[in-house]
Formats: sequence, structure tokens, C-alpha cells
Amino acid sequence: MVSTDQLIAGLAEGLTPVARLARPWARALGLVLLASAIILLLVLLRGLRADMAERLADGAYWLQLAGAWLTGVAATLAAFEVSLPDRSRRWLLLPLPAVGLWLSGFGYTCLADWIAIPAGAPIARDSLRCLETILLTSLPLAGVLWRMLGRARPLAPAPVAWMAALAIAGFADAAHLLIHVVQASALVLVINLIPAAVIVTLGGLLGRHRLSRAPA
Amino acid sequence: MAPADPAPGSDETDWSKLMADSQAGDREAYRRLLQSILPYLRSLARRTGLGADEVEDAVQDVLLTLHGIRHSYDPARPFAPWLTAVARHRLVDRRRRVQRRVRRETPLEAEAETLPAAPTYQPETASEVRRLKAAIAALPPGQRQAVELLKLKEMSLKEASAASGQSISALKVAMHRALLRLRRLLSED
Repeated sequence: MVSTDQLIAGLAEGLTPVARLARPWARALGLVLLASAIILLLVLLRGLRADMAERLADGAYWLQLAGAWLTGVAATLAAFEVSLPDRSRRWLLLPLPAVGLWLSGFGYTCLADWIAIPAGAPIARDSLRCLETILLTSLPLAGVLWRMLGRARPLAPAPVAWMAALAIAGFADAAHLLIHVVQASALVLVINLIPAAVIVTLGGLLGRHRLSRAPA
Repeated sequence: MAPADPAPGSDETDWSKLMADSQAGDREAYRRLLQSILPYLRSLARRTGLGADEVEDAVQDVLLTLHGIRHSYDPARPFAPWLTAVARHRLVDRRRRVQRRVRRETPLEAEAETLPAAPTYQPETASEVRRLKAAIAALPPGQRQAVELLKLKEMSLKEASAASGQSISALKVAMHRALLRLRRLLSED
């Protein structure tokens, strides 16, 4: 049995310098810039949605778009804050106003799109393109965010995982709203929250979350 | 009368400075920091409701966690809240584990014992323990440390590596050799 003094001596003896984590806002800024660059790149490659001219005067559309992007920004910052042990859990409330704005557009645009889609429209093909856009935005962001958040080795990873999923969903839907006519905000949210739910559940079952095993 | 526990933050400036120096790799600063936070951690562990036999293990657990996430401390912020948050998280986690274990165990009731228990092999067991202890003590230092950390202390390879300063592969090799040697030593007796 190692005594506490021996443990301290061992820890001190093997001490190596460590690179401090940058401030949460600085790390969040990096991720937001990356997300915005991905969205911009996709818009350049795919072009703006076909009905953008009509949407320009549609206040609900812009509110939903702003809500989605702001949800991404706020949830990213919240994820980086709560990944640190001494930060308040109240950071988790930060994305709520943006989520409200984003969700407020769900019902309206969904209904409007259902009415607007003519019978026999090539929905299946559009849906595939939609899914492609969602994945092209979500997957790179998820990889980078997983690694960045893992560096903090969060002691309570569940809220961090939820915030990360919400952030990615927000950014992915912002890309989707700019490119595609088909309404899929709810789908985007579900696609991104399911992996987070799986991770959190597995983490709970295993007792220790994989996030905390990411390289420092 | 026991000495009063230090209030968290009473050495705040020192602790923050020591932690910042530790992040830069100053071993003496790190040793002083860990020694100086011990009374506070022990007090916190007792207040969490852990039994006396659990306190020291819990404190060591907190020290290992602190070691693993020391890069996440921001020296521009006070050290005590960071330390307290880390410690509380680990201590509450441990208390929950203890409570779960207690709930799973069923207390032995007097009615369950209908016959006196048959004599056990206590003398032989004690002698086995003595032989094992002697065999462990006879191991070379590196192998002995591997057995102590990985088997007796039940640390993970990562934790044992942090505690001993040995690499994970060195620990695996030392553990393997220690087991071979123990097997040989015990079969010789």
C-alpha cells in the first residue's frame, strides 16, 4: 500500500510541464470560426437555396437562421465552460434564448414548406442532399469538438456532451437552412442528439466517460 | 485537540503560484502544493461522510485526479474553488460507490446461524499472507512498486504510471516479471 507521502513524492518526481488550456471563450471562438468557414464553404459549393429571393423578405426565416447559428455559438461556449471543474452550471442556460429563437421557426416554416411543396416533387433526392449537408457539417465539427473538449478531461462529461451536440446541431441547421428548401431542423437536432445520448448512456454504464480518456 | 482545518483559500496566493509553477514543471513547487492541500482534502473527505478507513484512499484519488487535469487550471483564477470542485466531484463519486456497495450487501442476521461455524484455516491463511508479504518485499524495487500500485492499490496503468514516473510499458514488464518471480518464490517454500 502506497502512503500518501509516497504518492506525492512519486507524482512530484514524474512531473512534466503541461500546456495550459486556452480560455474557454478563445477555444469557443476557434470552433465558431471553423464552423462558420465550413458553412461558407458548403454554401459556395452547393449554392444558396433555390427560393432565397423569396426568403429575403421572410422575417421568420432569418430569425430561425440566426437562432440556429446563435445556438451553435452559445452551446459551444457553454460546453467549453462546463468542461472545466470550477465553472458554474448556470452556463448550461446560455443557449436557451437562442434555442427558443431557433425552435420558434420549426413550426411555422415546417407548415409553410409542407404547403409550398408541390405534389410529386423530388423529395427523396432532396432529402439525400439534405442529409449530406448535415453530415458534412456535423462530422468534422464533432471530431474537432470531441478532441478539443477531451483535452479538458471533464469530470462531469454528460452536460458537456449535450452542449456539444446542441452546438453541432445549431451549426448544421444553419448550413441546411442556407442551402436547402426542405425543412429538416427537427431532423438535424435529432441526428445530433442521438450520438450524444448514446455517449452519455455508455459513459454512465461504463462508470467513466471516454471524454475523460482523450489525450491531454 | 485536533488542529483546526485550514480554511480553503487561506493560502490562496501561495497555492495559485505553486500550481502555476507546477504547470511549468517545478517539482519542488508541486510537492509543496500537494503537501499543503492535504489537511484541507482530509477535512473535506471526512465532511463528505466517508469512513475513517476510506479517507486516505479518497485523498489519494483526488491527488491523482488533480494531477491528471492540472493543465486545466487557469492561474488567473483562484485555486481554492478549482481544487474544491475537483475534490468534491471525486469524493461524492466515491461516497456513491460506497453507498451502492453497502446497499448490495445483506447484513448477516443472528437467526441465519444455526450451527457454529466450522474452524477455518486462519493460521494457514495468516501464514500465507506472511509468506506473500515476504516474497513481495524480496522483489527488486521496480517490480515491488508495480505490484504495490497495480495490485495492492488497484490503480490503473495510467494512474500507476503517473504515481511512479515509470512508463506504462515499463510497468507492464515489471508486473509480468514480478508475477513470475513471486510464483517461483512461493513455490520454492
